[in-house]
Amino acid sequence: MRFSASILSPILGVLCTLCCVGGAQAAPRFPPPLGLPSVLHPADNPPTPAKIALGRKLFMDRRLSHNNTFSCAMCHVPEQGFTSNELGTAIGVEGQTVRRNSPTILNVAFVRQLFHDGREFSLETQAWGPLLASNEMANPSVGYVIERIRQLPDYRGLFEQAFGGRKADMQTVGAALAVYQRTLVSGNSRFDRWHYGKDRNALSAEEKAGWAVFSGKGGCTACHAVGPKHALFADGKFHNTGIGYARSMGLKTRYQVELGGGARTEVGHEMLDSFEQSLPDVGRYEVTLDPADRWAYRTPTLRNVALTAPYMHDGSFATLEDVVAFYDQGGIDNPDKDPRLHPLGLSAAEKSALVAFLKALTGDNVAALARDARRAAPVVGRWSGRDPASVYSGRH
Amino acid sequence: MSKFMFTRTVAAAVLTAAFTLPAGSALADETSCSPFTPLIKGQEDLVYVMTLGVKGIGDGSDKLVTVDVNPQSKTYGKVVAQLSLGGRNEVHHMGLSDDRRHLWAGGLDSNKIWVFDIGSNPAKPKLIKTIANFAEKTGYVGPHSFYALPGRMMITPLSNKKDHGGETGVVVYNNKGDFVSAHAMPVGDLPIGKGDGYGYDVGVNPGKNVFLTSSFTGWNNYMMDLGKLIKDAEAMKHFGNTSVMWDLKTMQPLKVFNTPGAPLEVRWSWQPGDNWAITTAALTSQIWVYKQDDKGEWQAHNVGAIGNPAEIPLPVDISLAANGKGMWVDTFMDGSARYFDMSDPMHPKEVYKKKIGSQVNMVSQSYDGKRVYFTSSLLANWDKKGKDDEQFLKVYDWDGKELTEKLSLDFYKLKLGRAHHMKFQVRDLKTLKPLESIAAVQPAVAQVARAD
Repeated sequence: MRFSASILSPILGVLCTLCCVGGAQAAPRFPPPLGLPSVLHPADNPPTPAKIALGRKLFMDRRLSHNNTFSCAMCHVPEQGFTSNELGTAIGVEGQTVRRNSPTILNVAFVRQLFHDGREFSLETQAWGPLLASNEMANPSVGYVIERIRQLPDYRGLFEQAFGGRKADMQTVGAALAVYQRTLVSGNSRFDRWHYGKDRNALSAEEKAGWAVFSGKGGCTACHAVGPKHALFADGKFHNTGIGYARSMGLKTRYQVELGGGARTEVGHEMLDSFEQSLPDVGRYEVTLDPADRWAYRTPTLRNVALTAPYMHDGSFATLEDVVAFYDQGGIDNPDKDPRLHPLGLSAAEKSALVAFLKALTGDNVAALARDARRAAPVVGRWSGRDPASVYSGRH
Repeated sequence: MSKFMFTRTVAAAVLTAAFTLPAGSALADETSCSPFTPLIKGQEDLVYVMTLGVKGIGDGSDKLVTVDVNPQSKTYGKVVAQLSLGGRNEVHHMGLSDDRRHLWAGGLDSNKIWVFDIGSNPAKPKLIKTIANFAEKTGYVGPHSFYALPGRMMITPLSNKKDHGGETGVVVYNNKGDFVSAHAMPVGDLPIGKGDGYGYDVGVNPGKNVFLTSSFTGWNNYMMDLGKLIKDAEAMKHFGNTSVMWDLKTMQPLKVFNTPGAPLEVRWSWQPGDNWAITTAALTSQIWVYKQDDKGEWQAHNVGAIGNPAEIPLPVDISLAANGKGMWVDTFMDGSARYFDMSDPMHPKEVYKKKIGSQVNMVSQSYDGKRVYFTSSLLANWDKKGKDDEQFLKVYDWDGKELTEKLSLDFYKLKLGRAHHMKFQVRDLKTLKPLESIAAVQPAVAQVARAD
């Protein structure tokens, strides 16, 4: 296995935790990228090169969907910040509607409660959500996925090699995908070099002014936390900004539509009544059933945010300028709106500086991580995009 | 076969055809056949309808449905055959082979390509080959148009397997179903124009040694519910805004045209003396005509609009008359067929409009233009929902002034599914009328086939 130099750091970082004993986590001997803490690995799923390679192969493999059309990477496109820049909300197998925006999985290693509503607690189990969701990869069962992988000739021996002789099963599939995703660590941004690395020239004057707004008048750090030694730009908590409320309550009834070549028009509900109606989405409440969690969504990290448009849980904002304008207005009022949201009264210069600052949060290895992901892709010549029935007919 | 070899061998056949097929001598459309495919100049006996399976309707599977449409037949108006393909593949367009004995069809989602034998028993098509590795072989997703070349089938996919976006290319297979070559759509600022990489349809003009491609959108958008898509501002940015003229001999792009808003179906006028092609842009509802200027350079002209573009009527399919003097345009949103007087292609004029159903997509006319066929389905997830989701095949007589309905089949009542693309066939292939110029190059065509 070969790793490019620029992604070596996080991968070596995760490998250094191999010395964990029992349930405890050993301190890594290889420093994490500037600005980020060490990745913590479950004691029962330490990373190895074989697991990483296997997880990457699984992540990029379209045959893991029921009809061979979808890999994890089709919604988390490596070259698009491991999200999809071309869709507000995702779609799954046969074009089925998914309610929410594909979150970036860069730095997902640091997310403790996964999905926008936080319904999963580990990457090991999270992987099975999209694999089985009927509107995502649409596999009919756990056993179906496992059997399919076992029948694909190019996976022969890979699980056994990665997991001490153990075959593909529910745990090892999730474990391999989790280990790979924990390598997608991206720090050492220009902000990190300025803030933590004390490189005074790493940020421009405007970007520094943006940091002042971010950590001061804007109050952004209240949710997009920045610590003394590192910054996840997230608090791991759930907040109601009003975006979900407005969508559920049908407050938006007119839509600007781009037709091409600069031509635009506006359409209303009356034109769209003949098509699929918006699916309900009450956010975190769907997990906790606590009315206080209605239309609350997990705070996303802002690292690499310049690469992960469109924004918000429903991808409803195309640009960072739109996002800043939204928060400057104090979000959308509703009974459960987070009290930290209020009109900010930012000047045009302050808003511009804030956007400039956000664009300085891009890690230094994102392109290398994308290139690395593509190494797993080719299966030409050994393509076994068999019909679903073959999984059953192939059993002995 | 290497790309170089392909270029040489196909070029030989195509150039021979070009020399024997001067622009204007080729006969029409019927309605969108390759000029290398022999035509039905009389009454068509059968229409094949590629039909999308719908969960809960019959077996829920995609099908090739064969309908008897000859009024003289005992089984007129009946479904005489249906061939389930298994699953829902987002089946879409079909294309006839150069001898009209085979029919190719593709699945925009599954990327499968099916080849049917429609020569041995045209009333009962038989699936003889399934190509399942198109995406892995080419890197492209969504095989759309199938356009016959001598011994070859040109295929225009819509997307790619890397990100399900719109960058794609043009692919060539031989008649045996073997991959021959792939050619990327132009992307970026180039001396020939600014390419966006999108693709959709193809039309060949062998007399001019060119082919024209148009552009649509990637898997992400064509698989999405249309209502959701219209509300998704980001997704709406990702439609093709270009069309491309290519050199048929070298398979190299000659010029990229800025034709915003998803220019779709490509048709050449084969009227003697004519030298133009046409597309209509789905989103901007504009009509584009492609002509050579005095210096011989191809130019695209925006010659008019269809309906009120601000209301997004969504012109989805066109059918150009055999003499190039008229054109049917289906507008999906209002379910209407519009007839344009094309006597002056630079100034098309809508002269007739009729509502066909709550939605209408494909339109095909007979060679003599006296019969016009309509189907309802655009894409599985773009079709309307609820009571507006009518699925039909309707056949009308056209007397030049009025459409008169002659036949209507409800594809839901018949438990078939969503009716999409149509191709005509006759029971007796000896009645087909091959173009004289194509007949002249048959030895060269056979030689190319043997070379594979």
